[in-house]
Amino acid sequence: MLKELYNYRELLKTNVKKEIRGKYKGSFLGILWSFISPLLMTLVYAIVFPFILKSTEPHYVTFIIIGVLPWTWFTNMMANGTTIILSNAGVIKKVYFPREILPISVVTSGMINFLISCLIIGIFLICSGIGFSPYILLLPVVVIIQFLFSLGIVFITSAIDIYIRDLEYIIAFLVNILFYATPILYSPEMFAGTPIATLIKLNPMGTIINSYRDIFFYKQMPDIISLVVLIGGCLGFCIIGYFLFKKLSKGFAEEV
Amino acid sequence: MPKNAIVVKDVTKNFKLYYDKPSTLKERLVFWNKKKADVHTVLKEVSLDIKKGETVALIGINGSGKSTLLKLMTKIIYPTEGKITTNGKLTSLLELGAGFHPDFTGRENIYFNAAIFGLTKQEIDKRLEDIIEFSELGEFIDSPVRTYSSGMYMRLAFSVAINVDAEILLIDEILAVGDAHFQEKCFSKLEELKNSNKTIVIVSHSLQSVKKLCTRFVWIHEGKIKMDGNEKVIDEYMKVCG
Repeated sequence: MLKELYNYRELLKTNVKKEIRGKYKGSFLGILWSFISPLLMTLVYAIVFPFILKSTEPHYVTFIIIGVLPWTWFTNMMANGTTIILSNAGVIKKVYFPREILPISVVTSGMINFLISCLIIGIFLICSGIGFSPYILLLPVVVIIQFLFSLGIVFITSAIDIYIRDLEYIIAFLVNILFYATPILYSPEMFAGTPIATLIKLNPMGTIINSYRDIFFYKQMPDIISLVVLIGGCLGFCIIGYFLFKKLSKGFAEEV
Repeated sequence: MPKNAIVVKDVTKNFKLYYDKPSTLKERLVFWNKKKADVHTVLKEVSLDIKKGETVALIGINGSGKSTLLKLMTKIIYPTEGKITTNGKLTSLLELGAGFHPDFTGRENIYFNAAIFGLTKQEIDKRLEDIIEFSELGEFIDSPVRTYSSGMYMRLAFSVAINVDAEILLIDEILAVGDAHFQEKCFSKLEELKNSNKTIVIVSHSLQSVKKLCTRFVWIHEGKIKMDGNEKVIDEYMKVCG
């Protein structure tokens, strides 16, 4: 499997390039849009939520942007990733190539976008006077966890979506719910000691976003045990997703 | 070294025929018991060995199963029963311009398209000049593909496909590209590939051109091989279907 992927590495590269640069070609601001959209969302949250929540964190804008940017990566994956096989129907029907290239390139391009948008987090950290800590070196670990988690989901959803087209709408709904179940606009400490706190702990995106917050915002060590559990769990999940994808991929050309 | 480039052994391919395919969850739940679909057998226990260096034409009327056989060879679809093995790097020209992105330039799209065929960057770099020269696009190569005429688009796509340098080439009815001059050029390129000991399988209805190019002819009729041999197959085919 790895050998075939290696042989097709150029396809992976050009696909990532097409995803990142092709998406905004022809629009005025081009690739800047992938940063402007989350910034505008952050602006809206930063204006609205202090009214709803009685007390907010100090540096609330910086606090939420650290949650919003990884979340944007995740929702983009759920939206574009689920339909990636369907939207490439033309190529799937006519040319042979390892189909897993498509999900992998979507998640990889999302990751590159996110890594670039980390510069925005950096700017906010400097402007708010929070600054940096050595824990920032743990960023790659958290990014890899989110990569594996997203890839596992995309493997499964993109393959099933070919057979049951409703899936993309179900996913869109679930992602909306998950947004409120993930500590993006609030801090999990608000629910300390209640069952909600346990629920948040069970949500992998919750742990992922908490870890980003730890290394950027609170400048402390993330919960190592959860990270280790998560890295193992996500890797296993990704492998299961891959085999399911591989099995279902034989019917793609006939079903799309 | 194996002598056979493609071995097709007892291959049967069924397609499910849905009169109204239930594709949403609601339909699947409502019509749970009605799921039985008619099965349409396109290929029935077909066996075919193609040797290295052979140039084979698959002929037959519409719906006889020749394109399905070609798709099975490329591994786009998989047989219901039986097995297909191929030896050597395989390229299928079932569609031209796969993976082209309209907003990128011709030069960039050469990379996209060639990458789908499994080439690495160095391999594409090496062929880039040949591809551009063959396409006769000149300065247009650095314009976005969406500005191309359909003829230019096809010329670029064919130039990439033909320069991929595979050991086995599978071609589905695409010999009619561009004007007479360009067609002539494609044809001589195929001749050149044939003489350099590549294995070529062509599905075509233009009997005159395949007669000139190919050495072996396989007539497929209703999912079975009706005749297999030299030019006489074409004559027989003409008598029945021409």
